[in-house]
Amino acid sequence: MTGTAERLRMSGIVKRFPGTVALDGVELTVRPGEVHCLLGENGAGKSTLMKILAGSYRPDEGTILLDGEPFSPVTPHAGLAAGIAVIYQELDLLPDLTVAQNLLLGRSPRYGPFVRRSRRAGLAREALDRVGARFPVTTPVRELPIAAQQLTAIAKALTADARVIVMDEPSATLGESELLAVFDVIRSLTAEGRSVIFISHRMDEVMEIGDRATVLRDGRTVGVYDLTSTGPGELVAAMIGEAKELVRPSGHRAPEGEPLLRVDRVHLPGLLDVRDLEVRRGEIVGLAGLGGAGRTTLLRALFGDLKAHVTARLDGRPLRVGSPAAAVRAGLALVPESRKEHGLMLGLSVGRNAAIAALGRPPWLLPGRAGRRLTQPALADLGVKCAGPDQLVGQLSGGNQQKIVLAKWITRGGIRLLLLDEPTRGLDVGAKADLYRQVRHLADQGVAVLLASSELNELTANTDQIQVLYEGRNVARFDPRDSLESVIAHTVITGAMP
Amino acid sequence: MTTSTGSAMTVAGKDSGGARSRRRMDLIVKSNLLLVFLALCVVATLLAPQFLTGRNIANLLQQSALTGIVAIGMTMVVLTAGIDLSVGSVAAFGGMTVALLMGSGVPVVAAILLSIAAGALFGGFMGGLSAYLSLPSFMTTLAGLTAIRGLTYLLTDGKPADVGGAPEAFQLLGGGFVGYVPIIGIVFVVITILAALVLRGTTFGEYVYAVGSNKEAARLSGLPVRAVITAVFAVSGALAALAGVLLTSRLTVGQPTAFSGLELDAIAAVVLGGTNLFGGRGGVFGTFVAVLLLSVLRNLCNLLGLGSFFQMVVTGLILLVALILNMLIERRGARA
Repeated sequence: MTGTAERLRMSGIVKRFPGTVALDGVELTVRPGEVHCLLGENGAGKSTLMKILAGSYRPDEGTILLDGEPFSPVTPHAGLAAGIAVIYQELDLLPDLTVAQNLLLGRSPRYGPFVRRSRRAGLAREALDRVGARFPVTTPVRELPIAAQQLTAIAKALTADARVIVMDEPSATLGESELLAVFDVIRSLTAEGRSVIFISHRMDEVMEIGDRATVLRDGRTVGVYDLTSTGPGELVAAMIGEAKELVRPSGHRAPEGEPLLRVDRVHLPGLLDVRDLEVRRGEIVGLAGLGGAGRTTLLRALFGDLKAHVTARLDGRPLRVGSPAAAVRAGLALVPESRKEHGLMLGLSVGRNAAIAALGRPPWLLPGRAGRRLTQPALADLGVKCAGPDQLVGQLSGGNQQKIVLAKWITRGGIRLLLLDEPTRGLDVGAKADLYRQVRHLADQGVAVLLASSELNELTANTDQIQVLYEGRNVARFDPRDSLESVIAHTVITGAMP
Repeated sequence: MTTSTGSAMTVAGKDSGGARSRRRMDLIVKSNLLLVFLALCVVATLLAPQFLTGRNIANLLQQSALTGIVAIGMTMVVLTAGIDLSVGSVAAFGGMTVALLMGSGVPVVAAILLSIAAGALFGGFMGGLSAYLSLPSFMTTLAGLTAIRGLTYLLTDGKPADVGGAPEAFQLLGGGFVGYVPIIGIVFVVITILAALVLRGTTFGEYVYAVGSNKEAARLSGLPVRAVITAVFAVSGALAALAGVLLTSRLTVGQPTAFSGLELDAIAAVVLGGTNLFGGRGGVFGTFVAVLLLSVLRNLCNLLGLGSFFQMVVTGLILLVALILNMLIERRGARA
């Protein structure tokens, strides 16, 4: 291969952390104008590799060539200046500043010490137009929906005239239609000769947008694949390295009996109006919908976290939840959307996190020791991988962290209705299957489950009933055993059956 | 405390090497302060022979006990990521009310309990405002600092309040000794141990750490977050009032001007003791050692004849060095 045909070549990259080798001789080449997918299970080394490219980490060994020139960024600023723009999953925007301020942060046009506000607004407008965004540049980022924030982050990457744009799981926070808009932007970027490195767990996206893919496993490059001639099955096999069941087929059987949860109406003016929803004991009901369709709002309303008008019966008795504490007493449990912000106390140990919800019951003394004993069964059942109950929960992988959130409720016991909000976000294939196995196990013990997810294939594979929410209303109900996924997807996007 | 650390260490035995070295690091961080404290005591003994006399040690304990008692309450507040700026005013108020109550013939025990209850009420009110209306505790207690100090002056129009014919038992509380050990020193130690038991050995203590570590996650776990916050402020107020009572007992007069700036001394001890200002990490034993350390430092300066201005500079620098050290060690731990 000649040097000019390569935009980026990272070769022999080694990065060691105390106790582990994160990258052990990784190779990555990216051509101009290509969408290059970077695949691998969580912990395979994707993020570390991208942090080296961005200049956040320095490699212990290896070389980087950017357009044939040696490149060794020492700070993120140097990486950006050389034309490497990284859009992280947790968007690095400043929420209280306006879109224009964010887009030109540190690079605002100036007269001496004064900012040329109208010029800045003009530049910001141009940048937004390029990604097809129509919201005003004077909006504070905090007030934008998450998809618009994503577009802002992409636009920001473009203002730096980036040669290589890295997108770290942009789809994790986007709904289907928003994702299509982002794909359009990616296509126009590559048409200009820019290179995009696209990190995603979703095979359908990878197949749709990617030209080639590099698969990492355990800090090594497994292979480079041309996506026109490679199927998703082969990629997944390369990622996981052994023949592992992708999604465990759950022997769907419709649970019988009276519904445990009977929702007549959950109403929040302008946001949510869900009627007639039932969940039986042992049943997993999936909530499908675009981002902003009301899945999270419905779960939070049921959990007493939002002041909504809830008319529902739990086990035949009126459900009255004024607060999460009351909901917990009534036997509800929530696995929230963002485990780091809402699910876990990252600075505390595994044992203390897992025990915290159970402590509301006697014994009141020595919760540390009692907690350690109480949490053992749940942690063992869930197969949590950690050094011990004293390890900080912030040091665990995403899958294990999510298990701790679940362990918190299992340890408490007495769950009747389990609410899960995007429980598999950011988890790798194995961890997802593991999580669904645990949820099914709980359902088999008689728990009623309401599970919201953006991953339709996960819902069809793991639930007993799918409710589609559209603009705050539940518009359709599917039985995953005899429904076509394409039909459900159409309903999710349009709000009506085809 | 020693037993609970011990059990944590045995569990660590089967951990991986990384976790073990981290825990060893934690231990160094924890004992770091103790080592510095002991080193300082050695230096003090060498520089000033009279440092290690019974009279001086007793003096030292007596000086640090009141700030220490308040700092223990402050530690609990800071563990929930709050701050209590009103402790100085509440302490002064407690000292005045106990004097006035006893002066007007209320029995000793009732007067003390009423004063402490008043402190708890003030604390609970400010903490409750902060918890239920989502106001920053910095602001509610700043308001309290001013308003309660004003209230204290209003009680006697700014004049000291005479205890009157206080029974000897009351005077012993603040000024008495058991052998060489001042009674208020014993009170300080007992309160520290009680607070440690509550924090490490009860559900409430576990909730304090949970709320400080992540309030949102604690709330969504069904914890009574607002009640916990209100309670730690009530405890802080009660302990501040107790400090006021003890001072009045020692001076046999209530001083409305007492304890100004106490909140800063207490916060300094909490921070020096390794409790994180953003909540969730730390404990009362660090605070206990830090209080003694600051007191020894002051004592040493006195013995060496260095003025209070010099002491202030040294205290500030020690705080800064301690913070930087903690930060460096923590950063090292985070990378491992």
